[in-house]
Amino acid sequence: MLSEEIKKIRNEFEDEISTARSPDQLEQIRIKYLSRSGRVSELFNQLKTVPLDEKPEAGKKLNSLREQISNKFNQQKSSIESKNNFPKTELDLTLPGKEIVIGSKHILTQTLDEIKSIFKGMGFSVFEGPELESDYNNFEALNFPPDHPARDMQDTFFVSKDFLLRTHTSPVQIRVMKNQAPPVRAIMPGRVYRNEAVSARSYCVFHQVEGLYVDTDVTFAELKGTLVSFAHQFYGEKLEYRFRPSYFPFTEPSAEMDISCFNCDGKGCKLCKNTGWLEILGCGMVDPNVFSHVNYDSEKFTGYAFGMGIERIALMKYGIDDIRIFFENDLRFLKQF
Amino acid sequence: MKISLNWIKNYIDLSEISVEEIVSKLTMAGLEVEGFVDQNILYKNLIVGNVTEVKKHPNANKLTVCKVNDGSQDIQVICGAPNVAEGQKVVLAIPGSIVPKTKLQIAKVKMRGVESSGMICSADELGLGDDHSGILVLDNELKPGTPFSEALGLNDVILEIAVTPNRPDALSHIGVARDLSALFNRELKLPKIEFKESETDIHTLASVEIEDKLNCPRYSSRVVTEVSIKPSPEWLQKKINSIGLRPINNIVDVTNFVLHETGQPLHAFDLDLLVKHKIVVKSTAGKNKFTTLDSKVRELPENTLMICDAEKYIAIAGVMGGENSEVTESTKNILIESAYFNPAAIRRTSKYLGLSTDASYHFERTTDPSNTIWAAERAAQLIAEVSGGKVAKGTIDIYPNKISSKEIKLRLSRITRLLGYEVAKPNVIKILNKLAINVIKDLGDTLLTVIPTFRPDIEREVDLIEEIARISGYDKIPTISKINITLDRKTDDSRFHEIVRDTATGLGLYEIINNPLQSHKLASLTGIAVGISNPLSNDMNYLRTSLIPGALTVVSNNIKKGEKNLALFEIGNVFNLKVDRPIKSFEDFTETTSLILLLTGMKNVRQWYSRDESYDFYSLKGLVNSFNRKISLDNVLIDSYNTDEKSFYDNYFEKSLKDSVIGAGGQIKKNLLEIFDIEQNVFCFEYDLGKLTDIPQNKKLYSEPLKYPKVSKDMAFVFNKDVTFESVRKFIIQNGSELLKSVTIFDLFESKELGDDKKSMAFNLEYFDLKRTLTEEEVDNDFKNLITLVTKNFDAQLRGN
Repeated sequence: MLSEEIKKIRNEFEDEISTARSPDQLEQIRIKYLSRSGRVSELFNQLKTVPLDEKPEAGKKLNSLREQISNKFNQQKSSIESKNNFPKTELDLTLPGKEIVIGSKHILTQTLDEIKSIFKGMGFSVFEGPELESDYNNFEALNFPPDHPARDMQDTFFVSKDFLLRTHTSPVQIRVMKNQAPPVRAIMPGRVYRNEAVSARSYCVFHQVEGLYVDTDVTFAELKGTLVSFAHQFYGEKLEYRFRPSYFPFTEPSAEMDISCFNCDGKGCKLCKNTGWLEILGCGMVDPNVFSHVNYDSEKFTGYAFGMGIERIALMKYGIDDIRIFFENDLRFLKQF
Repeated sequence: MKISLNWIKNYIDLSEISVEEIVSKLTMAGLEVEGFVDQNILYKNLIVGNVTEVKKHPNANKLTVCKVNDGSQDIQVICGAPNVAEGQKVVLAIPGSIVPKTKLQIAKVKMRGVESSGMICSADELGLGDDHSGILVLDNELKPGTPFSEALGLNDVILEIAVTPNRPDALSHIGVARDLSALFNRELKLPKIEFKESETDIHTLASVEIEDKLNCPRYSSRVVTEVSIKPSPEWLQKKINSIGLRPINNIVDVTNFVLHETGQPLHAFDLDLLVKHKIVVKSTAGKNKFTTLDSKVRELPENTLMICDAEKYIAIAGVMGGENSEVTESTKNILIESAYFNPAAIRRTSKYLGLSTDASYHFERTTDPSNTIWAAERAAQLIAEVSGGKVAKGTIDIYPNKISSKEIKLRLSRITRLLGYEVAKPNVIKILNKLAINVIKDLGDTLLTVIPTFRPDIEREVDLIEEIARISGYDKIPTISKINITLDRKTDDSRFHEIVRDTATGLGLYEIINNPLQSHKLASLTGIAVGISNPLSNDMNYLRTSLIPGALTVVSNNIKKGEKNLALFEIGNVFNLKVDRPIKSFEDFTETTSLILLLTGMKNVRQWYSRDESYDFYSLKGLVNSFNRKISLDNVLIDSYNTDEKSFYDNYFEKSLKDSVIGAGGQIKKNLLEIFDIEQNVFCFEYDLGKLTDIPQNKKLYSEPLKYPKVSKDMAFVFNKDVTFESVRKFIIQNGSELLKSVTIFDLFESKELGDDKKSMAFNLEYFDLKRTLTEEEVDNDFKNLITLVTKNFDAQLRGN
């Protein structure tokens, strides 16, 4: 009997207290349940009629009921008071707040940061190198012989016969390997230059990230695994990929990596020129001739290298149709990112 | 490079293989197909029409109204071509068809009030040449209504292949066919060469001598006599057209055909124009002039490899023939040159002359030294066939030092080690054989192979491994999902720049990235600039010496677009020349990383809660100090002011560490701003970030928060105007007790009441001790003492009471 009563009172109380919004309502609830003649006290009065051996148990239940109800009541009371205690003022709360201006990193920096953090998570170090490089580091040590058509792949700004503006970040590979014995696992971001006519699709200055891993048992399979993991982290889990044979003097075998176009899911659109594929990077196994320039034993060590263009990635990712906008530094552009 | 599938089918059976499969296999084997044109689709809905009536357009002078019969009915078409006439067979594009060149869809339209239900096409519109002066008139025998592609046999598929520089062997139809034979496991069939030789021995007609054997290792030659020069037969013209070349005459067309069939460039000389019928190959001794067959006079540098007769130059070897020996309509006897030249020599000449030809393109990528005779004979055969000429008996072949085939060992275990998976031995051998690479010994794990001379790219074991990987398909290589990571210390060269960028953006600045290439005018404003030898333009012929000119350009451009309030930063490398001669080493210039902070315009503008506020000198100084504090450098750097009179700043200040200036800035001088067309004040500060990176960062150590109360005291004085804040602050600190820990300024003003040469400064002094509570008395004594001293020392008056 008594426990049913307890249940009923608790339920009724909870219904009422949860809908109470004003101090007046609260006061009414207090009187109804917690005052001397309230419903909880009434139940305590009924305790007299309970058989002696059940009394201790019933008493416990009642005490717990009183405790629950008064706790809930106090909770609700303080919550209502804190809401209502706001002094009524003349503030127009809809006025804009006093914002603090936070600047932003250039979108190319943000894109690079994202790439860097993925590779750092895979145990890569980060190295940088100079932009004004020697012909030796930029070409010769990377297995571009003088008077070889491979040099036509990268139109070059020369400052003298033997010095030039680096055409790729690959010379940093040479610098790192000359400085350090294997194992080497590093990415090398930086600015590069190409002597190409400026247009919406190409600019004479851009940025690359180079990657290099050399150790005793590095395989093409590991290169694929690493780059696929990068692509999944950067572009999304669902994409498809393919590796196509290509040619770079400093890798052998060489490959280009395509991913399925994220704009059209590989169905074909303007971005992927209706092929369904987007070329995102070049890669390959480090050529033994490069190892001999840095005195690594190519019988003992194998390695892979890769390189990607940051502008190209940002163009695709943010739907920008003119590469020149990155270097115009129009505040209205900078503020978008 | 354009490759015709119809042409390729002469060397390999591609039946039951779709175009899409061919395209995909080639691309996935490294011969990237960038695009292809299927003529059956390209010329869909274009038919042969018969012009039955031509009348003037009633409302337009230059247009005619034609009736064109499509085989079943007459269709009315408006035509703008001057050469349209009744009775012509023409190419009719009916509504719904797409013009091949322009990709415009033909529809029924009204032109100046008269209906037109199609279009008569020009050769240009059909993509068949550049003649757009009038419509293309077809052979009169053709039946109206016949599909155009069928009528002209234009049912080819043309592939556009991007061949990488390492694959000269693939720069021909036979070369691509060879890869296809490996990819689809089908047989490669080379054309048979059969021709009748005349009685006359070639050695009685011509002779060849090589003087420069280094740059011309082999010169082979055939002679064809009694040729008649005329247009090529249709089959040959069609082949030449299909790869985007223009037919010229039967001789030139054959040499072009053989080049694109085998990859061996050929040249045909008019034998009768060669003095003593002699060929001499040698390099020029001094500088020379020579007129090439395009009638241009070329300035030749020293050491240019030339083809000569007994007296004069007749061709620039491997690049272009001369006007003085070219085949003309009156040519009777021909000498075919089929040579192997040193690739680097041809490339140097071609680069120097800025003249790249089909021939030089092939030669500089390395042609096949073993194929010269085959190519010469193939050309002789075809020339005899299409010109009625007679092939002289025998071949001249000067080949003093034979270039032999390389032998390379291939270890199967090495394939596994490099690729990460095992390719079965029979597969390896099959792939090699299809690529004409012979396995001459099988030693178990090691195969001894012989590389054909047309594969100069295969020099080492690793190059063979690439061939195995390429033909098997890169998709066969597993994509592993676990890697090992070494637990060594990781380096991050960019970490400090990241901190700088985070700090700068936190301070409200936007990052800009400028092109380091500038005009000489801008680059030399701030240093001695490094020049570019081969610049794109005069706006970009020097490297920046500072980040200031680039940043001011950005300010100027933004102001023009209405963005006048700017807070910017840039991190970038700057370059300064140290010598007045061309750079020979890294010692001859400096490349350092700079950071620039820049403020201009208004800090607060039109906000409901504050007054408008412009950036000023103190905004910049505050920014610089906040920046330094964030990167823990505020305690180590020393400020100095107006120490450099030559700087481009008014109100110059610099930060230095010991004697080394770390950064400097101020308000940009008006005369510098004028160069950039800027009329508002610009404040900026440039750091040498390299020096900043090298400073050992202050180690941060915990200090216990103060347990005892601070005592704060204020004092204000009227000073003469020339008394600086810093001098008073220093004086107070030096003369105060040990308990005085800081002096800050909290008020500054000037007024008429104070007098024109006076100002008021109010200071807050903070006293405390780490170990005890101070007594009021000890603070008061020091404070009063300081008031007296300041008053005396600076001739100041204490304000208030």
